[in-house]
Amino acid sequence: MANVTLEGITKRYEDVTAVDDMNMEIGDGEFVTFVGPSGCGKSTTMETIAGLTKPTEGTVHIGERDVTRLPPKDRNIAMVFQNIALFPHMDVYDNISFGLRLRKYDKDEVDRRVEEAADIVQLEGMMERMPEEMSGGQRQRVAIARALVREPDVFLMDEPLANLDAKLRVHMRTELQRLHRRLDTTIVYVTHDQAEAMTMSDRIAVINAGQLMQIAPPLECYNEPANLFVAGFIGSPSMNFVEADVRSGELETENFTIEFDPATTDGLAPGDRVTIGVRPEDVYLERTADGVEHPSGLIDARTDVLEPMGNEVFVYLVTGDDADTSMDVEGGAATDDQLLMSVDPDTEIDIDEDVSVVLDRSRVHLFDPDTGTALRHGLISAASATGTPERGVGDTD
Amino acid sequence: MAAETETETIEREATGEQKGEQERNRGPLERWVGDSISDPGRAYKPMFWLVTIFFLFTTLFPFYWLLMVALTPEGQLQDVWLTPNGFNPGVFIEVFEILPFHRYMFNSFVIATVATVIVLLVASLAGYVFGRLSFPGKGPLMLLVLLVSFFPPAAFFIPLNDLFNTQISILEPVLSDGSIYNTPYALIIPLSAIFMPLAIFILTTFYSQIPDGLEDAARVEGTTRLGALFRVIIPLSAPGVATAGVLTFIGVYNEFFFSFLMTDGQPQSWAPILDGILGYQGQYQTLYNAMAAASIIGVLPMAILVVVAQEKIVSGLTAGGLKE
Repeated sequence: MANVTLEGITKRYEDVTAVDDMNMEIGDGEFVTFVGPSGCGKSTTMETIAGLTKPTEGTVHIGERDVTRLPPKDRNIAMVFQNIALFPHMDVYDNISFGLRLRKYDKDEVDRRVEEAADIVQLEGMMERMPEEMSGGQRQRVAIARALVREPDVFLMDEPLANLDAKLRVHMRTELQRLHRRLDTTIVYVTHDQAEAMTMSDRIAVINAGQLMQIAPPLECYNEPANLFVAGFIGSPSMNFVEADVRSGELETENFTIEFDPATTDGLAPGDRVTIGVRPEDVYLERTADGVEHPSGLIDARTDVLEPMGNEVFVYLVTGDDADTSMDVEGGAATDDQLLMSVDPDTEIDIDEDVSVVLDRSRVHLFDPDTGTALRHGLISAASATGTPERGVGDTD
Repeated sequence: MAAETETETIEREATGEQKGEQERNRGPLERWVGDSISDPGRAYKPMFWLVTIFFLFTTLFPFYWLLMVALTPEGQLQDVWLTPNGFNPGVFIEVFEILPFHRYMFNSFVIATVATVIVLLVASLAGYVFGRLSFPGKGPLMLLVLLVSFFPPAAFFIPLNDLFNTQISILEPVLSDGSIYNTPYALIIPLSAIFMPLAIFILTTFYSQIPDGLEDAARVEGTTRLGALFRVIIPLSAPGVATAGVLTFIGVYNEFFFSFLMTDGQPQSWAPILDGILGYQGQYQTLYNAMAAASIIGVLPMAILVVVAQEKIVSGLTAGGLKE
């Protein structure tokens, strides 16, 4: 068990910078998830911790040791790979005991540890099987047992559930959480699936284009995103973003205005451009908005598409007249004319219906449209606000 | 219903008769061509057998001829026509009595085995580097290997022979007279070098196909890069290693030029099978039957090796060829 410290980790390939000045402190026994889009550098960052990739600059410490120049075998880490990476020519016992046998543990000790690890991941009685004879979930459990058996300081997991089917993935997710509670070891986990990141981690490190965007507990990333990228990446479907001008006491967008408490205008002057961010669940139909404490003024909209999910219905709203309804790949509303709302499944609503909606002003976020930095979370006076932004892009460590 | 089917059958018979009449007007070749166009299988099948028989004949007939020559008693070869002139299976024992042919075979086996081991070891390291690492100058370096493999081996012979005949004082404690001539090294060194490029190319292809994740897993689990090569990459490339190994072994075993010239032809000087076979050719007499019998005995181990390893060789060669 040990903490992991990354200082100024930078990895440059010939013409690309995969990881750019990454600083991070992962506590002993903490479960930290690296999350970000494909190719953002999260796997490269993990590989520098594992020693499979040498950083161009910066140092990696595991516990008190500087391991930056050590080969993987001397770092006392274990890793679970995306493609599972069981040795196809060895049976389960040989796979799990591979590392122990390399380290010349005596037979009894190897047997004892393999048995214990197999017990933890429920693989009893499968020691003689070859990997090709097992299902995906079983193979993944063997890979985890192979990592467990060495009792490493740090577990590294590189998208370990990515190749499993959806149902098994959810199951393994809970198993991993149970495992973490039982072992209490430092775990670094890489995924592009934000559901995995949200559900399992103590803290999430959101990475984009090789840079650390925010490292914080999951709910903080969700409720107080440090910048536009985190706001858009965490949460599915994505947050609504609308460009607005600051006027005295209100924000004016192309199609509607939101009034805000003048007491909260510090740092904002009339005439500034901001990006408003609001999550689909913080948009309410006017007729069901009784519980909202700080509603905005009414916004006129027309329903465009309904997506009933069972437990909720996503409603794509169009505001303004000649609206642009193109969408981005994340499924979020992509233009200023669109607004995505989530409502109860028993709400009576039809497509092409003219409705009035309100926003929960306490949960409206403001971002600087140029730098992306969060300016404010909530548009009501500081007394009842959910929080004030204290982190920017640069000061994430 | 019944009436309808009746008329149908009558009609069908009528058209069948017409067709038959047409067919009778064509010659047999024309008919066969016509049938082959409508059913290409009729053409492919005889062609398949024709080509197969041709290949079987050209590959197997020399062996039959060899066997026949071996079985024909000495001095009766002039009247041979497809069957042996007499029957003398004892020649397969005599060859060992006339010359220590078993010693020649032993020499050949040792030389081929050692050369194969050297080739597999060095080519594995080269294959790992070319197949799994990227570094500046990799392309040119690989081209250089390719280039060297295109040199005619004979071009190296004279300088090598000269070198091997030189007495090198530091080798004196190891080799009796300090020169490599008449030692197994005189064959192992050049033959390993000649078969190295082929093995490097085969192994490069195979090692490059092992997923990076497996090597990473081995390294995280506690091996070095070399350890990962020997514990994971090589075992998983078994067909490729077997192919490279068998091709090298057969190549060295069958090699003529260096084998003939790098020793003085005496069994105690590590002369290979080739010198043994030629040994039945004396100044006044040539024992063709013994030469043929020795040839068969010399070929047998290779035939067995190929039959045993055939599946792996075929899968190895095709897997290499079908990369990506």
